[in-house]
Amino acid sequence: MGLIQRIIEAKGIPTIGITLQKEVTRRVKPPRALSLRYPFGYPLGEASHVKQQRTILLDALNALQTITEPGTILEPGYIWRRHRFD
Amino acid sequence: MRKLGDVKNAILVQAFKHWPWLAERWARHHQFIEGKDIPWAPLRKPVRESSIAMVTTAGVHLKSQTPFNMEDPDGDATFRAFPSNANTADLTITHKYYDHSAADRDINVVLPIDRLRELRDEGVIGGIAPTLYSFMGHIDGPHLNILMDETAPQVAELLVQDGADAVFLTPA
Repeated sequence: MGLIQRIIEAKGIPTIGITLQKEVTRRVKPPRALSLRYPFGYPLGEASHVKQQRTILLDALNALQTITEPGTILEPGYIWRRHRFD
Repeated sequence: MRKLGDVKNAILVQAFKHWPWLAERWARHHQFIEGKDIPWAPLRKPVRESSIAMVTTAGVHLKSQTPFNMEDPDGDATFRAFPSNANTADLTITHKYYDHSAADRDINVVLPIDRLRELRDEGVIGGIAPTLYSFMGHIDGPHLNILMDETAPQVAELLVQDGADAVFLTPA
């Protein structure tokens, strides 16, 4: 996914991507990433968990405005199925 | 032999889901196309005024569209485009390399369309770009060149034409 992200960014559009594989992302080097230690298949969290999905989406959108260093990987540190999104 | 490969794949999908460190370990020993310079496009206007586009590699598409090719072990480098105002009930996922049981119940797990619409309605974002783009993230071998040289640049160009001010990408 980072490869596609890099190609879009190179075209002139700012991008932010979620990664569930920080090790891969560190090597592929997309411009901005939000890293979660969540299982594959759950980048926005659990099904029907609106607050969790919303928080992660907002984190990503905020990162578009706050990241100034190319290659930054932000880690909000949510613990899978244990973090309370209230 | 294909059956055996499918069984092996199904086991790996579950293993990577339950023990993510296995995937990290796999990643350390796997060759990637590594980035050198990092492309950078500054945000031109605040998010609340921006038209946001979404791109996913989770294999999402309209039920009426041709599914991604699951027969080729190197994957499928093509993409599907569908309107961002599509009814989520008309979407489906074709991707056998991750567990999409949760995303099948709620597409927002991989592509948060409903959440993005809520943020638009609340004025948190300026708008949603007219089209969403979807790849099937398992792409290897010769298909990587097709992705890098053809299909990903095509999507980038389409996003420019769509007037997207920023793009949010989700993996599987």
